[in-house]
Amino acid sequence: MATCPFRSVLDRALDLDADPATADPGARKEFPLMPVGQAIDMGFAPDGTPLFDPRVMETAEFVRNPYPYYRILRDHYPVYFDKLHNCYYVTRYDDITACYLDDEGFNTIPKGSSSGVLGNTQLELSGIEHRRRRNLYGRHLVGQALEKRVPAIRRLAAEMIEDWKSGVHGEWVVPDPATGRYTVELGKAFANEFPIRVVCQVLGFPDEARAQFFYWYSSMMNGLGGSETAHQGLEARQDLEDYVGSLVEARRKEPTYLTDDDGKILGRDIISELCATKVDGDWLSTEEITSNIALIVGGGGETTRGAILNMWYLLLQHPDQFAAVRNDDSLWDAAFHETLRHSTSIGGQPRHNTFDVEMHGVRVPAGSLMHMVDVSANHDDRVFDDPERFDLFRTDLYSGKLLRSGYRQDGKASHMAFGVGPHLCPGAWISHQESVTGSRLLLEHLGDVKIAVDRMPTDIDGVSLAPIGLGAIRALWLDVELI
Amino acid sequence: MTTTEGRPAVSRTSAPGYRTYEIYQRMRVNETTALIKPRQLTAPEFLVDPYPVLTILRENYPCYRDWPGNAFWITRYDDVTSIFADEANFETRSKLWFYGAEGYGRDLNDELAVLACRASRTDAHARPLANAVIGDVVALGETDLATEFAARFALELLAVQLELPADDLPAFIERYWRMQRGWQWEPKAQLDGRLAMDELAAMLAPLLTARRADPGDDLISVIAGLDLPGGPATAEDLVATLLEDDHETLHGTLANLWFLLLTHPEQLALVDGDRRFVKLAWLEAVRFAPPAQTARRFARHEVERFGRLLPEGALLMCSAGAANRDPRQFSNPDTFDLDRRDLCHREPRGHYRADGLPTGISFGTGKPSKFPALPEDRPRSRYAIVRDTAVTASDALLDAVADLRIAEGATPHLRSLRLGEMRTCWRLPVTFTAR
Repeated sequence: MATCPFRSVLDRALDLDADPATADPGARKEFPLMPVGQAIDMGFAPDGTPLFDPRVMETAEFVRNPYPYYRILRDHYPVYFDKLHNCYYVTRYDDITACYLDDEGFNTIPKGSSSGVLGNTQLELSGIEHRRRRNLYGRHLVGQALEKRVPAIRRLAAEMIEDWKSGVHGEWVVPDPATGRYTVELGKAFANEFPIRVVCQVLGFPDEARAQFFYWYSSMMNGLGGSETAHQGLEARQDLEDYVGSLVEARRKEPTYLTDDDGKILGRDIISELCATKVDGDWLSTEEITSNIALIVGGGGETTRGAILNMWYLLLQHPDQFAAVRNDDSLWDAAFHETLRHSTSIGGQPRHNTFDVEMHGVRVPAGSLMHMVDVSANHDDRVFDDPERFDLFRTDLYSGKLLRSGYRQDGKASHMAFGVGPHLCPGAWISHQESVTGSRLLLEHLGDVKIAVDRMPTDIDGVSLAPIGLGAIRALWLDVELI
Repeated sequence: MTTTEGRPAVSRTSAPGYRTYEIYQRMRVNETTALIKPRQLTAPEFLVDPYPVLTILRENYPCYRDWPGNAFWITRYDDVTSIFADEANFETRSKLWFYGAEGYGRDLNDELAVLACRASRTDAHARPLANAVIGDVVALGETDLATEFAARFALELLAVQLELPADDLPAFIERYWRMQRGWQWEPKAQLDGRLAMDELAAMLAPLLTARRADPGDDLISVIAGLDLPGGPATAEDLVATLLEDDHETLHGTLANLWFLLLTHPEQLALVDGDRRFVKLAWLEAVRFAPPAQTARRFARHEVERFGRLLPEGALLMCSAGAANRDPRQFSNPDTFDLDRRDLCHREPRGHYRADGLPTGISFGTGKPSKFPALPEDRPRSRYAIVRDTAVTASDALLDAVADLRIAEGATPHLRSLRLGEMRTCWRLPVTFTAR
């Protein structure tokens, strides 16, 4: 019944009979789960260049198996314009470092949120403004101040582990009377709360408020989005802010101090320090202090928890490396850094370019959202040999003292999990100390330890353990012998 | 890491704690957007029927921040028109920019001679061409109006303007469509579209040369003869001109008009009874179901609008679909009523509100014509050309057939084939009797 002279041409061009489901971002049909390390075939240009479909970034496949896709971006689209999400991805180590170090050209000022809702936290400031505020509490989290805190951190960890045999952890620490062994969920029994306790202590929260604080924190984290727990989360946040507000008012009058084991005063806690701080001749307002504390809590909890869980998950999957760590205590530092290089909780950081720029032939208009993909930089084989391999003995990863500007010389490079440059995570060192100190202590209490495989999610083959992918594993079930 | 199906998977590129806190801050000032999930703006349902989601946006979040899409959705009529009219603060980016091929060729659509040629060629050929196309249709006794009438007529009219050799037509159309579908986000389509542009240029280059030597009164000859500051027009300029031209308007509005008339038989009877209603029906169809649903604008610099600070470079998704159903402008906006009294029937040039009435937004994807319709020796705008052509073609169809109705068992509907593409009726099987 057709008379149109080009009907077949038109039908082909429009592909009308294509399954409408394929228009669904994340449709499983088009984006199935692949073996780890292998990308979905998204087509090729005639010259052999693989194409990159931005919809893949919204799929479950991408979250569990991101590295082959980032490899495509690094190798073929070092600056990728994602027209579906109206943003640019920068994926190579050297490019990201250059952008991070250029605080002026690639700023962190928030775009499009309603009137700077986060208040004056340094995450959103650039240049001199940022430098002024960044040092407000950064010095408490580094160097000697931190060294002196380590025994206290260790004591916090010890308290938590001592509780394991007491039964207070309920279903998360389960003894098996037949074998005398325990089944432990390391997250619930240790890693979720430990970093929060450290944060509480450094901030100077009273010990008795700790349980309440953890409840607020968990409610906020669980209440994300439009879920049913959102209301609870909202209340928790309000309560937390009211509480912090009252603490701040109290500390303004009467500062409190952190002490070492001998009761010697190390200095004011962070809240007291912020109360006594002037920026540009003005005292910080209570709102500013509260915002900063929320930032410390948000940044100090989830991420360190993820680092601890990922580290144990990876080590236990490489028994030879785990044995090496058990034999040589000092390898924990390398294990920590290699974990963060291999699988970090934070994918990257957004930046906005202040000026029109051209990178790798791509012109980026001023004000564009540019994602600096840290996890991709960490897997850049221009920097790290065989980047998908977990190997704490690798010689190309710098695991010494972290430098603010990043480290790359003599064939060694630091990983990028903490960012680079002016916005380098101020909690990098304390997070390192928490993970390593906590893990050392854990190991002292654990005899034979292995992953309780039957309780862990498996990969698509139904046998091997699921990969970490982006972010951190949600739970880590261990089958342990408690000493 | 779980790989549960259905879990909303997002690429995590910012610290979770940071985002958590921001969300709670927004909740506190009651700035939550809990009635909608941003994924709904890219879901398959949105391609078929965007209106439920757009209504939620328009009535609750008139300047909705779509975080995953990194855009602001503007959905109220006055807001959308205020952006279109504000060239000082908001810019359009060409399809070539989206192709990443700026500088490929010049867009000559605003040249007076080009516009005049379009108008005269269209006026001369629209009715004979419509008669010919409909003649073929009538000979069959049943047909698919979407392809055999709307698509075919629009594309053949374009070919007539260019005076393409008949043998070249299928190849031209294939490339033209690949080009028009390629500038959006789909990587395969983009690659294909970019190749199609080169193929089109190669195909049109000999014609351009030949007609420069021996000009006729067709569009290619006119473009070949233009005296441009940067030198004479090249085949790439011609392709760029074709690319930037809105191919949606004639094809899409014709198909949507007839889909709506056939699904509202009482309105069809009205049109059939009094042909003066054809133009009103077309205007109302364009309001009720604009083929180009969304126009993109970018903020030239930081600017405060709609209670927000829009950052430099912000992408504004100006939704014609939502604005045209804005109850602040139109009574019973979700009714297709060609006798409506609150729709302006004059040309929406610059989207001002002529006669104090809104015109409906349908041609917002390009900047308004720089040639006003008056004085009379100026050519009509592209909008007016398309409108008159659609009316002529529909008139011809009504002249030729009677008892037009949707084929039994068929369930035609409007949809976009891909995110961001035109929303129209792609299959419209009908039966009729010849007059």
